[in-house]
Amino acid sequence: MKQHLKNETIIDYLHGALSPQEDASVLAHIEACEVCRAEFNAEAALTEMLRSYAAQEERELPPTLKANIWSRIRAAQPSPWDRIAAWLRPAVAVPVAAAIALGAYFGTTYMTPRGAPSIEAAYYLQDHAALNSTIPFSDRSSITPVDIENGTAIDTTQQTAVNVEAASYTADATQ
Amino acid sequence: MRLSKLRPLAVLALAGALIGPAFVARAQAQDAMQLLRDAVSAYSKYSYVGQVQNVDFGTSRALAVLFRIEHRAPDLTRRWYLAPESLYGESIISNGDTSYDVDPHNNRVVVVKDDAIDDQVAEDDNFGLLLHNYRAVMGPEDNIAGRRAYSVLLVNKHNGATVMRISVDAQTKVVLEKERYAASGSVSHQMHFESISYTNALPNDLFAVPTSGYARVNGPNHGIPSADLQAVVRTAGFQALGPKYLPEGFLPIAGDVSDIKGVRTLHLLYSDGLRTVSIFENARGSAVDLDSYTVHQTSVRSHSAQYVLEGPTTLLAWAQGNLHFALVGELSRDEMVRIASSVTP
Repeated sequence: MKQHLKNETIIDYLHGALSPQEDASVLAHIEACEVCRAEFNAEAALTEMLRSYAAQEERELPPTLKANIWSRIRAAQPSPWDRIAAWLRPAVAVPVAAAIALGAYFGTTYMTPRGAPSIEAAYYLQDHAALNSTIPFSDRSSITPVDIENGTAIDTTQQTAVNVEAASYTADATQ
Repeated sequence: MRLSKLRPLAVLALAGALIGPAFVARAQAQDAMQLLRDAVSAYSKYSYVGQVQNVDFGTSRALAVLFRIEHRAPDLTRRWYLAPESLYGESIISNGDTSYDVDPHNNRVVVVKDDAIDDQVAEDDNFGLLLHNYRAVMGPEDNIAGRRAYSVLLVNKHNGATVMRISVDAQTKVVLEKERYAASGSVSHQMHFESISYTNALPNDLFAVPTSGYARVNGPNHGIPSADLQAVVRTAGFQALGPKYLPEGFLPIAGDVSDIKGVRTLHLLYSDGLRTVSIFENARGSAVDLDSYTVHQTSVRSHSAQYVLEGPTTLLAWAQGNLHFALVGELSRDEMVRIASSVTP
């Protein structure tokens, strides 16, 4: 191939727009002709630059365009009644009801992994009061026999003490 | 008399006027301290019968309890509840470190053992801690339940806040009235004798625990608390965390380990001698069941947390990795959250 490739042919080659026979012929010429290879490299660099610029433009939409889109979305928002009706559709209402039921069932053991028992707050309040009995003027008499708020006895029978190894008292607290 | 002869007298009078109030103030402080010491031990010296009203003030409501008390020194006490109606007829009989909760509504007696009650060493240490962190100031004389009483204010040395006012019987030093104040200055707890009579003629029958017709149930055994907190933490069997921040004057003073529903739970108590805060933790993923309470949401650093109010006491619960925590105390909510936020590895 004595003639050099036309610029249009190189551009079509870069965009894969040639027939298989033309594509093979252009490739063979570019490999053999130094002038056309330089032309090809220049066009390839330009094409890559244009693609990068186009990609950047796609990332950042003009602010006015975004504002217009949001304006249209707001204008198209449903009425309050439409929203309620949407929630009552079976496709939404059934999963929501199931989630509420599961939440109510497992709500008593919030954050508790399966298998770990939850511990009544009353245990902690009682243990706090019990350990307070050595504090001067702690009110031993304020420990009432039942949970006043609920009028029901707290089941405290499932708590046992663990012996502390090598328990010894220090007087550091007063120094 | 010549003026020159009057001069030494004038100097003495001036010195007296300047130094006198300082001596009086010091004497009053010593009187207040001695009054506190006497008040702590009066419970084990004097026997009496009377009627007591206890009120715990929450943020929006108060819980009041009225009971009749019969106390035979040193450590035998019966409290018979008169109000509210849900408690009417119930009684608690305390004999040393064991108390019997007599519940006629359910025909049962719940036996609770609390070894901490008889721990005189710990009581002495904690009284020392109180004197270290609080200034005792004599208040005006009072008349409570027909008895002349001295009042003493306990003022925090670090922040100047009055945390408690106690009124003690001028003759016996038994505490007749006590008010505890919240961080805001409002009353958070009040104990008040409506009537009291001293007597040494309290029969044994008064303190007899009923047996026939009552099922006896063992309540929680709180065990022997230890001041050796390192040993307590070792016994817990997991990598426990403690707070890096505590209000000024607070020290770790005791701890215990309990198995609650099979969950090993570490309990550490911190105090400044008057105010206390407890931290509970377990590594079994057992959360706090707050179903019986009105739950409020908050956060401890990035962790969601919940808290409930029981009179003046706040319980704050949160989870951090596999550790579940409950912080219990009478401090302000902000202070509790600050302590909780400092619990880091």
